[in-house]
Amino acid sequence: MAARDQHGSEAPGDQGFRVVGKENRKVDGLAKATGEAIYTDDIMLPGMLHAKMLRSPHAHARVLSVDTSKAEALEGVVGVLVGAELPIRYGVIPWTPDENALATDKVRFIGDEVAAVAAVDEDTALEALDLIEVEYEILEAILDPQKALVTPEPAIHEGRKRRDNISKHVDLEFGDVDAQLEGADIVLEEDYSFHSTTHAPMEPHCAVAQPNSNGRLTLWSSTQITHYVHRALSRVLELDPARIRVIQPCLGGGFGGKSDPFSLEFVVAKLALKTGRPVKMLWTREEVFYAHRGRHPMQMHYRTTAKKDGTITSVDAKLLIDGGSYSSFGLVTTYYSGQLLTGPYNFPNYRFDSTRVFTNKPPNGPKRGHGSVQPRFAFEVQLDEIANRLGIDPIEIRRRNFIGADTETVNGQRISSNGFMQCLDEVEDASDWKARHGKLPHGRGLGVAGSMYISGTNYPVYPNKMPQAGVQLKIDRSGLVTVFTGGNDIGQGSNSMVAYLVAEELGLLPTSIHVVSADTDLCPVDLGAYSSRVTFMVGNAAIDGARKLRKQIIEAVAKHWEVEARDVRLMDGTVIDLSEAARSMTHVEAFHLAEELFDTLGSTGAYNTPELGGDYRGGTIGASPAYSFTAHAAEVEVDTETGRITVLKVWAAHDCGRALNPIIVRGQIEGSTYMGAAEVVLENHDLNRFGLHSGPSLLDYRIPTSLDAPDLEARIVESIDPEGPYGAKEAGEGPLHSTIPAIANAVFDAVGIRLRHLPFTPAKVLKALRELEEQN
Amino acid sequence: MRVFRLQVNGDTVEVAAPEHWTLLEVLRYKIGLTGSKQGCDKGDCGACTVLLDGVPTLACLSLAATVETSAITTIEGLLPAHRANGGEGADPVQDAFDRCGALQCGFCQPGMILSAKALLAKNPNPTSQEIKQSLSGNLCRCTGYTQIYEAVVLAAKGEQV
Amino acid sequence: MLRLPKFEVKNPSTVEEAIAMMHAIDGEARFLAGGTDLNPNMKHRLFTPERVVALGGIEEMFGITQQEDGSMRIGAMATLANVASHAELGLAYPALSQAALLVSGPQLRNMGTLGGNVMLDTRCQWYNQTYFWRSALGFCMKKDGTKCHVIEGGSKCVAAASNDTAPALMTLGAELEFANATGRTRMPIADLWQADGIWNKKVAHTELLVAIHLPKPSADQRGAYGKLRDRGSIDFPLFGIAIRLDLDAQGTIFDAALCAVALQARPWPLKKAAALLCGTKPGEESFTEAVEQVAALAAKQCRPMPNIPGDHEYRHAMVSVYTKRALLAAANGDGPVHHV
Repeated sequence: MAARDQHGSEAPGDQGFRVVGKENRKVDGLAKATGEAIYTDDIMLPGMLHAKMLRSPHAHARVLSVDTSKAEALEGVVGVLVGAELPIRYGVIPWTPDENALATDKVRFIGDEVAAVAAVDEDTALEALDLIEVEYEILEAILDPQKALVTPEPAIHEGRKRRDNISKHVDLEFGDVDAQLEGADIVLEEDYSFHSTTHAPMEPHCAVAQPNSNGRLTLWSSTQITHYVHRALSRVLELDPARIRVIQPCLGGGFGGKSDPFSLEFVVAKLALKTGRPVKMLWTREEVFYAHRGRHPMQMHYRTTAKKDGTITSVDAKLLIDGGSYSSFGLVTTYYSGQLLTGPYNFPNYRFDSTRVFTNKPPNGPKRGHGSVQPRFAFEVQLDEIANRLGIDPIEIRRRNFIGADTETVNGQRISSNGFMQCLDEVEDASDWKARHGKLPHGRGLGVAGSMYISGTNYPVYPNKMPQAGVQLKIDRSGLVTVFTGGNDIGQGSNSMVAYLVAEELGLLPTSIHVVSADTDLCPVDLGAYSSRVTFMVGNAAIDGARKLRKQIIEAVAKHWEVEARDVRLMDGTVIDLSEAARSMTHVEAFHLAEELFDTLGSTGAYNTPELGGDYRGGTIGASPAYSFTAHAAEVEVDTETGRITVLKVWAAHDCGRALNPIIVRGQIEGSTYMGAAEVVLENHDLNRFGLHSGPSLLDYRIPTSLDAPDLEARIVESIDPEGPYGAKEAGEGPLHSTIPAIANAVFDAVGIRLRHLPFTPAKVLKALRELEEQN
Repeated sequence: MRVFRLQVNGDTVEVAAPEHWTLLEVLRYKIGLTGSKQGCDKGDCGACTVLLDGVPTLACLSLAATVETSAITTIEGLLPAHRANGGEGADPVQDAFDRCGALQCGFCQPGMILSAKALLAKNPNPTSQEIKQSLSGNLCRCTGYTQIYEAVVLAAKGEQV
Repeated sequence: MLRLPKFEVKNPSTVEEAIAMMHAIDGEARFLAGGTDLNPNMKHRLFTPERVVALGGIEEMFGITQQEDGSMRIGAMATLANVASHAELGLAYPALSQAALLVSGPQLRNMGTLGGNVMLDTRCQWYNQTYFWRSALGFCMKKDGTKCHVIEGGSKCVAAASNDTAPALMTLGAELEFANATGRTRMPIADLWQADGIWNKKVAHTELLVAIHLPKPSADQRGAYGKLRDRGSIDFPLFGIAIRLDLDAQGTIFDAALCAVALQARPWPLKKAAALLCGTKPGEESFTEAVEQVAALAAKQCRPMPNIPGDHEYRHAMVSVYTKRALLAAANGDGPVHHV
């Protein structure tokens, strides 16, 4: 049974937390530091072939024919694959399967996959690609989302119910928005836009497939979603899922960029089955840029009404979302673009009208803060402007609109714990806001913004009533506890988190825990590392499983000592008798006693969300068992001669519930904040006039070096959540959101310009400064 | 094919590989030292950083055929060298990175740690600006760099648990 | 992984051997110094030589030594890190030292050489890309095609000189020592360039740059380098400007040189602008006024094109700002002018 019971947010014994909340090492830290950790491309198998992908040089074309005969004839080529051999479509959202591993009918962006070759080495595979002859009928490419909105032909995806280029449309209204116009003390209406950015994890995508002689297939892949890849492989390969094993080795970063099933996974699997040999495909950095699934560019129109005292009375949003060439998570993105804005402020009336369109560009998807970073930017800038017009301090207006804890948003989302007010206090204090905001010399400024994010949602991408997260625990006579979890550690430290929780429950040191993760043969299902769900869901499952064993161990020891169970304390690998007898044993001895009494020791734990969300179509999308809250204050310097914005420092206060390991939480806050800051001033996933990525490399896509990252100061706020694992919530995505508007608002404080269109290039800043000068 | 005679982590390794292969490919795919990572293909990210005679160098832009006279240190070489010098546990820089949470996905860290190692060998008490300068050819996408700086400072202090 | 094309590697130990190896093949051969430009370019199939002649074993090409006449000889294989950290060079030729320090990032400077930076291939956003990428556009005239994507209908390649040290060496009047099949030659660096982005040098790629010679500086010579780029490290220049000022005993400028880079195929000397500085005195109004005039004239003489990444109009707007800042830095003994 999926455990929906509450584990409570307190320490399991009477001794307080011994592991949780401490600055413990990560379970894989030294393995990574010493080069011992194995990532997908580190896997070398005997007889392994190397595969390469042939990609479309056209943004939109019909594939008329693919002739691979010359490639097949090349010495060293072992297998060639074309789209017709993998005709079944897939997509991470089961309602919108519109991707083929290799083109079957059309190519939809420059870089779309057409054919693949497996050869004895990469050089030979590359040579063979040149020998494949593809005949294309070139179609008009649609690059502008505005054009896509009004241009039904050519349809980028044909054969859908909709005969146009609209991927998804959501229009929801809560309350009566238009009625608030009359009598509003202030109505502010502006356009905003968010450009295209990408994840750029340091590890490029890689997959290795091995056919097993017993008819099974193993796939190692740099994925954040082992379980969904498992399902998709089974469907596309038409192979019983029980014959497929998917393993995620150590992962070199994801940020949402590895949370779709990708073509290379199907291609290496199919080539392995076809050739009977292991096959690896490692994408070049350029190919990673084409795979993309980055942040959706959005054109946003917001109209907010408020009272004189700053109280928001309504928010009206209209968003155009550039989806790129495929659906990916687009259905969810479209909902998230509206659903996740209704906190930390109370919106009494709210409407959003979001349309996602297809364009002939690399597909957009979920990047850290999926779907909600863009609206958050727009709204927080608008709120800042309202504060400014009304003469209210920007922090104060945010306090006045605070939605509170244990409440419900206008769109029916349940808010439990909420530490947003403390987040505001923290950044106000840390930035010396009162003394400095509005008072710094020209060119320097402070800005603030707030946000909220989900800790997973109750919407599994395929509807089912099974647990969202499961773990299995095994106790060895040596004293080692092995935890099997389907959760994907993508660098965020989820395996460490699991080890801490199990150690806490069983009174062990974390070094007594071995975590085996993301292996579909060995581990119970977890849905994957997305939507900031892992700590909350896998964490609760881990406590659930460990608590069952804890009970058994205590019972066995109590029976042995002939004391009450409450007199048995498990702590730091020792079992202590709290009764008068005052004696102890090692945890290993305790395990042996328990095994004698209960037979072989093991347990399972699971988590599923309670029923959540509004009672309307889409009302469960974005409904989370707990929301995290963040406030950022940013300090910038604007060089009025060069237009360059230097983000000097960002203070980030994040309410993560209980911080299970403050070092790791800080790392998530700082990493998110850095990534957000980079989206403002540096990064641009820019396509040129041909629809070709203008610089698909880590030279031209400018992610910050150590000399570009702002100084970061993370403040952890712990509003202990009643349902989180020991009260924890998410920390991996929330702290990105308000970085961006905080910087925008700081620029206003510094030089008086309101920038509403990202990215804030020096050229844009100079232009705005000139316009301001002309106005004055 | 050419037989390369490389000095890797104190060993002399003879290995046959195609003549146009980079040091990174030979290390990873022929010698099996996969700790050096490949992130960008062409010298933009620093994940493949190794030390050539103690100097941080990009293995992805070095031909194996041009480094036969240099002493090559990869990330795998640090811990054994530390032990050979009578140390315990991991190398102090590796250890500090672990303690400070400087390792998230870990993919940039072999290169980052080697850059830090070279800095500390030259300058045992670097200022924060010197640390930033020295690491500015190693891109990290996870940390925002703060915990990496803390790790370098901790390693410089020579503290170890 | 992005693959290098197949080639053989030769490891000569003398200049003469290197020249012989360059010529003793029917197909194309290329010299390889630090590898930081040629290797990515080969991975992009911009060059597909059958032979690579690696220069790392030629002792003569290393070292930075002061000559008896006070001039300086820098072996072409001296790394940019060597140049940037060389104390005497820093004092005598600050613009060069600063430019070398701002090339790319630390590892690239440890590998990349001064000779390699002088001989750097020109760069263009439509050119420094993979074979696949370029094929999607039908290529360009610099490699594999006939069109220009920078100037539609353009007949001349406008790929940009992007070597930070070149303008510094130009202002310093450096001489380049080349070896070729007929022996050795020396040429002023100003004579090296031609206005052709496809190959912007008057020497063939088969000629080997052995050393760079810098004349003895005047008694009070000052200089600085200014570099516009997006990030604090790694990036090539979006605009670069080198300055040399020679002051007499009274502190009056009697000679000056300015040279810009990252504009067109050649480094761009600003002679008229430099002339305005002569007779002025840093610290006095004459100099301050001249700086404004020089900056304005520089903006007229420098016309960035949409060849390298970045907004070319913005790059143009920065010409006067960086020129002014670099001039002031040179006069004050500061620099480099760089945003971090």
